[in-house]
Amino acid sequence: MSARQAEAGAPVRAAPRREITPGAALPLLGFLLLAALFPFLPLGSRAEFLLQIAFFTLVAGIMALSWDILARSGQVSLAHAAFYGLGAYGYALLLKAGLPWLLAMPVAALLAGGVSLILGAVTMRLSGMYFAIATLAFTEVVRTIIQNLPESVAGGATGLLVPALLGGNSRAQYALAWGLLAFTVLVSLAVRLTRLHFAFAAIRQGEETARVLGVSIVRFKLLAFFISSSLAALAGVLYAGKTFFINPLETFSLANSIAPLTTSIFGGLYTTLGPVLGATVLRVAEELLHNSVKDGYLVVYGLVLMLSILWLPRGLMGLRRNRKHGGDL
Amino acid sequence: MDLFVQTLVNGLLQSGLYALVASGLALAVGVVGIVNFAHGEYLMIGAFLAWAGSAFLGVDPLLSLPVIAVAVFAIGALTYRVSIRHVLLAPELNQMLLTFGLGILLQNLALMLLGGNTRTVTTPYQASSLQLGDLSVGGPKALAFGLAALLLGALYVVLYRTTLGRQMRAVAQNRRGAQLIGIDVDRVYLIAFGVSCALAAVAGVLVSVLLFASPTVGLVFALKAFAIIVMAGLGNLTGVLWASVLLGVSEALVQTYVPGGGGWSDAVFFLMIFGTLVLRSFRGAR
Repeated sequence: MSARQAEAGAPVRAAPRREITPGAALPLLGFLLLAALFPFLPLGSRAEFLLQIAFFTLVAGIMALSWDILARSGQVSLAHAAFYGLGAYGYALLLKAGLPWLLAMPVAALLAGGVSLILGAVTMRLSGMYFAIATLAFTEVVRTIIQNLPESVAGGATGLLVPALLGGNSRAQYALAWGLLAFTVLVSLAVRLTRLHFAFAAIRQGEETARVLGVSIVRFKLLAFFISSSLAALAGVLYAGKTFFINPLETFSLANSIAPLTTSIFGGLYTTLGPVLGATVLRVAEELLHNSVKDGYLVVYGLVLMLSILWLPRGLMGLRRNRKHGGDL
Repeated sequence: MDLFVQTLVNGLLQSGLYALVASGLALAVGVVGIVNFAHGEYLMIGAFLAWAGSAFLGVDPLLSLPVIAVAVFAIGALTYRVSIRHVLLAPELNQMLLTFGLGILLQNLALMLLGGNTRTVTTPYQASSLQLGDLSVGGPKALAFGLAALLLGALYVVLYRTTLGRQMRAVAQNRRGAQLIGIDVDRVYLIAFGVSCALAAVAGVLVSVLLFASPTVGLVFALKAFAIIVMAGLGNLTGVLWASVLLGVSEALVQTYVPGGGGWSDAVFFLMIFGTLVLRSFRGAR
């Protein structure tokens, strides 16, 4: 029955469709603008330190948003640390092989994306906890392999030295991180505003139904994996270039999988603004706590995750009462 | 040949501990329907309580074990009341992430309060060993295995010979049906979750004697328990025993026979989880 027929008959009212208006992009644009202006603020004597925190906030934003893109297709992954680490290690090894950094960066991202296709294909039929555990196990396998390779290959358990990104100029590094976050935001918006949005949402809400509707599950699930993992690898490249020393234990740490997951849920799942906002709030909270306690500052993530699930299932984005803007981005 | 038999025995003894952790997890998954990602943290709490009892009060871990089990049962029941209970009808994702958050919270609280150091418990029987012909078996290991076997036996008796056990199995099969015939489902869930945590804590006490107590000790055991219940198939308690033995023995074999086994044995174990999950998914089991 077409829409017109429905209108002609009984007063059938379609569910209110929340159109996405250009206004919905305003908060996002505002956020990016503020982030771009941050280095030009009068930061005083602690400028270098604050800029570093801001840099890692951008990295956290990339991680959270890329994790969210994967989650939109119903795949709640604990393998984000693996792709973050593969990006970092791929970049370091490509530099060692003599590639210029501008080339090493996208190649590392594509390599990680390629690996994610393998993982995605293998875990295709797993759902819920099985998927989570399989991805967690995958991360540990990758870490153990890198740790146990001969030291001459990937530095073993000790780690690898990485040349500083952009000659160690922290403002230029910040600008690069900002550019990559902006790119991630664009990718996320592209996913939201095209047919991909409907495909991902259909798969997430019911694979069987999506298949009946003609959505190619395999293709879209793998696509989500590829996009998400390549972006996570870019975050890993930023991390490697900023800290100029990477080791398997820290790079592949479970914390790197937990943080994007918690951040997205806290900020607002399946949105673009939510994960970025969540990353900002949580990173600042983490830094504040990190100053006062040595170990266990991840406690914030545990607490925030529990409280979000119990009382704020839609995250920060759900707090907005007045929704005249229409659909969320 | 002696080495081979010795390896098998070591693996078998280790599997007792695994079965203890895994059957607790299987209880939470099977009866309450909650995949408890924080299961390892209750093991960690048990290990630290045993360490505290031994270091501050001078009580042998094996003597404090019943007290610890009861205490952690209470902690588990409390956890159920304040958190798990509220997501019983929520999507599986929310349940999973809630317990995941709980695990991170508990682990990092322990890190914050106690630091990352490992704490060892010294007992007079720590270095003792039993001689069985050519085989030598560590005293604490044999003790742990015996205790695990005893507890698992008790668990089976409770599940299959008592009213409470029958209620648990009924709830596991069909929550609504059980409710209709007058079973207090909420009470059964509370008890099952508490017992699940208590089993983990008992394993934790044994771990503190066999290895050490540290904030992160729980994670590995929890992951192994996941591997075991996945291999066994959800809610299959007999399968848990066989899968535990399989994991324990294959781990021991890798450690003995693969060169550089220490580093690679972790990878083997994770590959095993990964392989099991993937194979099961392709065989059509969910």
